[in-house]
Amino acid sequence: MQESLARALTDSQASEFAVYLLGNVPGLPPIAQSIHILGIAVVMSSAVMVDLKLLGVALPSQNVSEMIRRLMPWTWWALLSNALTGLLFVVARPNRYFYNPVFGWKFMCLVPAVLLAVLLYRLNKRETGYWERSTGRRVSARVIAAVSIVLWIGVVLAGRWIAYTEYLYFLYE
Amino acid sequence: MPFAEFWTWLQALPLSEYIGFTWWFPFLESIHVLAVGLVVGSILMVDLRLLGVTALDYPASRVTRELVPWTWGAVLVAIVTGTGLFMTRASVYIENPAFQIKLLCLVLAGANMAWFQFRTFRDVESWDTATVTPRAARIAGVTSLLMWAGVVFAGRWVGHSI
Repeated sequence: MQESLARALTDSQASEFAVYLLGNVPGLPPIAQSIHILGIAVVMSSAVMVDLKLLGVALPSQNVSEMIRRLMPWTWWALLSNALTGLLFVVARPNRYFYNPVFGWKFMCLVPAVLLAVLLYRLNKRETGYWERSTGRRVSARVIAAVSIVLWIGVVLAGRWIAYTEYLYFLYE
Repeated sequence: MPFAEFWTWLQALPLSEYIGFTWWFPFLESIHVLAVGLVVGSILMVDLRLLGVTALDYPASRVTRELVPWTWGAVLVAIVTGTGLFMTRASVYIENPAFQIKLLCLVLAGANMAWFQFRTFRDVESWDTATVTPRAARIAGVTSLLMWAGVVFAGRWVGHSI
């Protein structure tokens, strides 16, 4: 599946177009990557800040429920922006990403991180103060927060290591 | 380039060569990106409060005091990891225009932060809960946003120009 998808993408007009854009729009690769990093910063200031708040280490004077409602929409927009800037590179060179194990690790961190963020957001939206109602929920929220932070860190580290896969194989030797 | 011998000496250090030729370079670089994300993310929240865009339920002084320590902590990590990256090819980086612009943006962001802290923030009591923040606070917020975005763009450009 992975192979046929990579081949289909490589042969597609979308790929040709992405290659053309990246090669002919002056400064597009670093511009798109910088916007991608700014998206990471927005995730840090929204989803990750909520996680740090749930763990009781950041923003003591702010309210958990209000924070989730105010900050999480910023996460969704940042993820959308990062999906677009990221896709530009993936579509241009599918083989570079589809056959890269580090790219796989990035998504093994990203998908659960997003799902946990959605869970925090949805339940809080359904019931204000959901995560503070009982000891059980408070503990659950802390566990979710701790796991999420580890996952988000994994996303960023793996993201940067996509370009350095050969170093990992060097380490294995 | 001033201090030419110093930059050459720095990049010839065993530590510099070790970082440059091993997995330490990508390792430090990935931590650097993480730290930069937290720097920009935390200061972004302060800037948006200073601009009167969001978090208006909370006094500006509280938002600032609770977030700026995160910014400084992350700046420290970014400086340590950034120095590790820089020293591998110091004499090349120091002459790179993108790197020079990044340093300039950093200095301006720092100066803006200091000006805000020691001038604008001193009479914060008078506008702490106001939904429309004073002009000086808004200028500090915009300047900060632009300079930190400049740091990210110029920083990413360094990797494409060396």
